[in-house]
Amino acid sequence: MSKVPTQSQINLDWPRQDFSRVPYEVFTDPHVYALENERIFQADVWNYLAHEVELASAGDFVTTWIGSAHVVVTRDKDQSISAFENSCAHRGAQLVTQVRGNMLKVACPYHLWTYSLKGDLMGVPMAQGINGKGGMPSSFDKAQHGLRKLQVKVHAGLIFGSFSSNPPDLHEFLGPHSLSQIDRLLVQRQPKVLGYLRQRIPGNWKLYNENVRDPYHGSLLHQFQVSFGLQQPTMKGGIKLDADLKNTWNHSILSESDKEQQKWVEKAFEGTGKYNPNMKMADPALTQVPLDLGDGYKTTILSIFPTLVIAQVDNTYAIRHLRPKGPDLVELHITYLGFEGDTPKQTYEKLLTANFIGPSGYISLEDGEALRLVQEGIKSRAPGTHEVLEMGGVGAIEDTDYLSQEISIRGFWSHYHKIMGF
Amino acid sequence: MNAIELDYAIRHFFHVYAENLDEERFDAWTGLFDPDQCTYEILSKENKDLGLPLPIMGCFTFGMIKDRVAMLAKGVLTYRRSRLLRQVSNVQASYTEDGHVLAKANLVVYQSSEEGVSSLYMVARYEATLVLVDKRTLVRKMAVIVESFGIDTMLAVPL
Repeated sequence: MSKVPTQSQINLDWPRQDFSRVPYEVFTDPHVYALENERIFQADVWNYLAHEVELASAGDFVTTWIGSAHVVVTRDKDQSISAFENSCAHRGAQLVTQVRGNMLKVACPYHLWTYSLKGDLMGVPMAQGINGKGGMPSSFDKAQHGLRKLQVKVHAGLIFGSFSSNPPDLHEFLGPHSLSQIDRLLVQRQPKVLGYLRQRIPGNWKLYNENVRDPYHGSLLHQFQVSFGLQQPTMKGGIKLDADLKNTWNHSILSESDKEQQKWVEKAFEGTGKYNPNMKMADPALTQVPLDLGDGYKTTILSIFPTLVIAQVDNTYAIRHLRPKGPDLVELHITYLGFEGDTPKQTYEKLLTANFIGPSGYISLEDGEALRLVQEGIKSRAPGTHEVLEMGGVGAIEDTDYLSQEISIRGFWSHYHKIMGF
Repeated sequence: MNAIELDYAIRHFFHVYAENLDEERFDAWTGLFDPDQCTYEILSKENKDLGLPLPIMGCFTFGMIKDRVAMLAKGVLTYRRSRLLRQVSNVQASYTEDGHVLAKANLVVYQSSEEGVSSLYMVARYEATLVLVDKRTLVRKMAVIVESFGIDTMLAVPL
């Protein structure tokens, strides 16, 4: 019996065509979660796997997750990059237990079946039997028993994989805004990994997709940014969507008017209890690090369907990858970047500003808590109830030149609704 | 201080350190650091094993340590308000060649919700360089190496 639910097991109400209402069951229903695995993660999308710098040498590997699938990504002697499911073609055992490392071949610990770094079956012990007895039947064809492979494409060092036999063109999938901003963030300087952060957020993976497409919350939840002048709701910026509405580029930019707008901010937040304009930091060095690209962008958030976020927040550069662990838990895996040629001072500044992001980030720790609160809150909701997405306007889903909006969240749902076949 | 006295002093230090955090006596906690020279870092075991420098929480001056807890005390941050209890064990202490104390200990932290449900929040170990100043034990360098680096929700309150 298939474990993939039938449409009749899922009864979702999408009352508005502009996706300004989203049924809460999409965050809680295990049937929806199972169907997402089939229609998103195993279907015609490109999933982020790793960055090429993590596979510098032949034999290097990393493991990652695509939905519920555990995937091994390798670099072979011919420098090619491959990806395959981390499950033996024989009896299904997990093959690679380390998160990363270097290996000559893939060997199953159970019956020692061995595979090449491309996932092809190379050796089956006792295939010819012993003393003429036993062994595999003559019909057994090793070529038919390789590991389940993904299609792999690399753009600007970012390695993507797809379980689809006919995935979309990667550049079209990413869209023009992602392509230009990836160039700006990850190509003009050669990235290097400064470390990893992992945050297990007890919320549905799509809540995080909403969060990164939601500049409305930025200056409300994250009072640290507003109190210490890092970010304001009045800042110049906006969002741009790709043709499918699934990927969002949102950005904020420093401008001359920021200081004048500070008075408006102080009035708007008066009495909220969180805003502390008079609070002084004992050591404000963290908030004084200059933007090293020098182009005035305070934030650049590329939210790429289904589980990738490439983010510049002040002077931090990170690849955020969502690893769903069920309807109500997601691991946010962060690859934190510096760049080749960074001076010791620049590296120190990146370690300093890392205090903005991740599970202890003055900004990001609050997102973990906010998503937990949403997942807790919607447990109470009756079937057929909806979240409300009207900030910035209803109707058309289009680019904006302002920040306080939820239009890009509606873009995500528009594409999700289509790809899920609801 | 002989070995037994040192062992007692460092155990006592960790008990005071943990209780200050458990009871959210943040000023008392920062008072355990040497204001002239100190660092406080929470590091994931994953990064440490890979030789990668990124901390989960990195305070490189006394001011940064004070800021970390001021953000909690002054209500700037929205974070999970669970009760945390720290259990410190396997405390080891030895003198370094320059007369400082190298201290190590294991840490587990339990979290309890408002409705009285408890769970394990954190598994970590301390690696500290301590100095003895006027009979007080002060932190020169505190590294908290987190084994449970897949952090549950968020890590706002120092370990």
